[in-house]
Amino acid sequence: MSFVPGQPVTAVVERVEIQKLRQGENLILGFSIGGGIDQDPGQNPFSEDKSDKGIYVTRISPKGPADLAGLKIGDKIMQVNGWDMTMVTHDQARKKLTKKREDVVRLLVTRKSLEEAVKQSKGCYHKP
Amino acid sequence: MPAEVKQEQSPSNATSLAMMQEPQEVVEETVTIEEDPGTPTSHVSVVTSDDGTTRRTETKVTKMVKTVTTRTVRQVPLGPDGLPLPEGTSPLGSYTDSIDRRYLKNGSDRFITPQATSTLTRSYNNSYNDSYGETPESQYIRHYGLHDGYADLTDNYGSLSRGVNFRPPRYPYMPNSYRPENSYTLPIRKDDYGHVAQPQVPMGSSTVDLNRSQPERFQPEPYGLEDDRRSLGPEEEEPYELEPDYSTANRRTLPGANRGRTHREPLRDGPRVRGYPDDPIEAELIDERHPYIHGMYSAPLAQPERGSMASLDRMGGRRSPSIDSIRKDPRWRDPDLPEVIAMLGHPIDPVKSNAAAYLQHLCYENDKIKKDVRQLKGIPVLVGLLDHPKSEVHRKACGALRNISYGKDNDNKVAIKNCDGIPALIRLLRKTNDMEVRELITGTLWNLSSYEPLKMVIINHGLQTLTNEVIIPHSGWEHEPNEDSKPRDAEWTTVFKNTSGCLRNVSSDGAEARRRLRECEGLVDALLHALQSAVGKKDMDNKSVENCVCIMRNLSYHVHKEVPGAEKYQDPSVLQAPGSAGPQRKKKDDAGCFGGKKAKGRKNGENDKSYDTLDLPKRTEPSKGFELLYQPEVVRLYLSLLTESQNYNTLEAAAGALQNLSAGQWTWSNYIRATVRKEKGLPILVELLRSDSDKVVRAVAIALRNLSIDRRNKDLIGSYAMRDLVSNLPSGQQRPAKNLEEDTVVAILNTIHEIVTDSSENARSLIQAQAIEKLVAINRTSQSARETKAASHVLQTVWSYKELRNALTKDGWNKSHFQPTVTATPKATKNGKPGYDDTTLPLMEKNQDGYSTIDQRDKDCKYKTGDGSVDLTEREPLKNDTNRKHYIRSNRPAVSLVDACDVKPQPVDSWV
Repeated sequence: MSFVPGQPVTAVVERVEIQKLRQGENLILGFSIGGGIDQDPGQNPFSEDKSDKGIYVTRISPKGPADLAGLKIGDKIMQVNGWDMTMVTHDQARKKLTKKREDVVRLLVTRKSLEEAVKQSKGCYHKP
Repeated sequence: MPAEVKQEQSPSNATSLAMMQEPQEVVEETVTIEEDPGTPTSHVSVVTSDDGTTRRTETKVTKMVKTVTTRTVRQVPLGPDGLPLPEGTSPLGSYTDSIDRRYLKNGSDRFITPQATSTLTRSYNNSYNDSYGETPESQYIRHYGLHDGYADLTDNYGSLSRGVNFRPPRYPYMPNSYRPENSYTLPIRKDDYGHVAQPQVPMGSSTVDLNRSQPERFQPEPYGLEDDRRSLGPEEEEPYELEPDYSTANRRTLPGANRGRTHREPLRDGPRVRGYPDDPIEAELIDERHPYIHGMYSAPLAQPERGSMASLDRMGGRRSPSIDSIRKDPRWRDPDLPEVIAMLGHPIDPVKSNAAAYLQHLCYENDKIKKDVRQLKGIPVLVGLLDHPKSEVHRKACGALRNISYGKDNDNKVAIKNCDGIPALIRLLRKTNDMEVRELITGTLWNLSSYEPLKMVIINHGLQTLTNEVIIPHSGWEHEPNEDSKPRDAEWTTVFKNTSGCLRNVSSDGAEARRRLRECEGLVDALLHALQSAVGKKDMDNKSVENCVCIMRNLSYHVHKEVPGAEKYQDPSVLQAPGSAGPQRKKKDDAGCFGGKKAKGRKNGENDKSYDTLDLPKRTEPSKGFELLYQPEVVRLYLSLLTESQNYNTLEAAAGALQNLSAGQWTWSNYIRATVRKEKGLPILVELLRSDSDKVVRAVAIALRNLSIDRRNKDLIGSYAMRDLVSNLPSGQQRPAKNLEEDTVVAILNTIHEIVTDSSENARSLIQAQAIEKLVAINRTSQSARETKAASHVLQTVWSYKELRNALTKDGWNKSHFQPTVTATPKATKNGKPGYDDTTLPLMEKNQDGYSTIDQRDKDCKYKTGDGSVDLTEREPLKNDTNRKHYIRSNRPAVSLVDACDVKPQPVDSWV
């Protein structure tokens, strides 16, 4: 799903709530992200539109918090705790996800399978 | 040598070029006076070179001015006012100059008339005035150029001899014509001893011109010219403007040109000599002279007044009829050089002084004679005369030494030093209040200071004296300002100019010299005061200002390493910066975050600010001494100079000072970088990228590179300076109109590289500025290996931003364009970077202080340890340093799967 900067985006999203896991001094979510407006979108293996500079889930540690919460590799993260993730740098995204004060992050993610499911069911759209 | 390093950077820096002296008094009493103003000066510029290499460039300038004055005894008819009577008026049995006669003969009476006068140089005028009034009896006329050869050129040889040859057209003033060899004595008007000390007018303007023009290389310097001017005195202001080449000649020529006057003097005198007119008079003169002449032979100099003159007279027969007549007299001959030197030891003081003055004349622009004087052991004798109680004697001796010390022949300078001439000069400086003598002393020292091995000698013997006797008093600075007294402005006197030129030269002699100057009590304070005064008066184009700025620039070099207690400021900077900087940089690595970077940049800026207020060491007392060099207050001063000055050397030096101050990683350089931004200095610097002066462009480019160590500055410079930077690059094999030197092109490329590094945003700006085409062309076709290399680094950095590749590809570029021409390795980018880094960093280091520290880590470590602040993490060091580059580069390649936790910024992938 692509979007044009400045234009409203329409996407089917799923809410994913992840409870952070404490590892030593760090709180971890158990997944890694790629992308960002400062990254080369052409390198993103998960995006349909190779100009999409969004934040994508690139890896998930098995049995980690993200895995348990249902996050999938290739998910595009639309929001983190209400913060837009479609127009941020990689580092900004990382920071939003790793705030130490927050034990829980709520993601809005979209993935191709969701879109397709919605199309088939003619379901409703959520506007991010 | 450290010193060398500094300077070099810019040959262009020229900043330091000091010119040597100027010949000052042209005329004085009778004999010929020569001035050598010029001495070779060397400039050292502290600047760091772009490449990273610092070179020291010295430029030596030598100026020589000599003026020969011959006295002819004549009585000048004085008008009621004491001035010579106009032709029409009856000459009272006065002797007219031989020159006059000529005029008469050649031309018509008219010459003699006022018109003629116009040609006369000021000096004459002055002297005349004085002399006339004072001593009617015998007045000596000074003759300047005596050479016949000149005569050929034109009639005009200004009386002043500037070595025409030497001097570039610029300096009209210098009398070129004199060639000692030919003839010396021109009958000139009278001069009075009293007159001797001619008021020299400090010339701001003149100096200015000189300065600008002065290039690094030997050129005849203004000095001589200036002197002339001075001597000329009040009347002539125009000379410079009039004609570059032979100003005097031209002027003079006016009337006389046709007539083929050769004598300079005539010209000068012309105006005033009104009495000349009649032949009869001349006849008388001749008659009188002859006796004189005859007598002379035996003891030419011995006769206080005339005799000495006589010797001079021999000069060019052509020039003045009178002279011719004299020459005809078989009994007369010039003393040869050994005889003249022997006369220096004559028991009669006037003989000594005349002999010395004659020597000065002979040496003017004549390297052969200088050498002969040296080999005949004349220099120790002259030095010995410096301690002579009679002002006439030590003045003349000093004048001779000034001429002898001028020029490329360093052996002459060494000879003066070897007989303790430097302490003798300093001693005389302390003793005398005679401005003319002081000018001669400082002019000689300026000449001597151009020779490397003598610099420390001058510092050891004279630094504090020069500061106390000249710099401080003339700067207007007061150690303990009186409550009521208003702050005084600097006086741009010749003495100040000479002294500041001398200090400018010695300030380039390395770390030890810099230390001595920095710690010289009152010196930095006075220089700063003088410059602030210049800014206040909007008088920023003169040579003295240039000298002062160059000294400040040189003293600012490596200030962060060399200043006592510098270690204390290293850590703080590290600490502060690190926090903000470290992360930022990393982020930068990520590459072009729009907002992110800027935001970060702001942080830095903010940090800096807070830094300023918070972290800057608090001072209970006002700054003084060398601390003033790097206080944020100086930023405004330099920016004012950059805004207002028209003098390229001053501009270059001011930019170089900012460059030096913004280099390095200590607290003060952080603050300076932020202050330049807050004082709105970046637009001023960017504007100067359009300067026509190569060295100014170079200094500004390097300054911008150092300033971009500050992240916020980097963002701004990337946004607003990129087009101007790129426009200075040659396009392909064709050089742009400016035709900048290799050093400058390399400096600009390195600056671009710095700006683009860690900032894909800036890289984008670079692409938008149409730079890729130029860079590729340089990379492939430049004849300069250094340019090729620098361009290659920029290209590789640009290509490393993957997000930009689409855009580049659309423009028709492909990977091969961004690879070094020499080694084409696909992975060159990533792997290659480290390699590049090695090369580039050193360069940077060499050039700039900021970069000077190659190993950031090492530095960091040092700093940390030194400071005692161990905790600071890498970041801190990184932030200020160039290290970032390493950082970034290393990170990027490795990036793929790193723990986010450890390394926050990972471009590709981050664990969360």
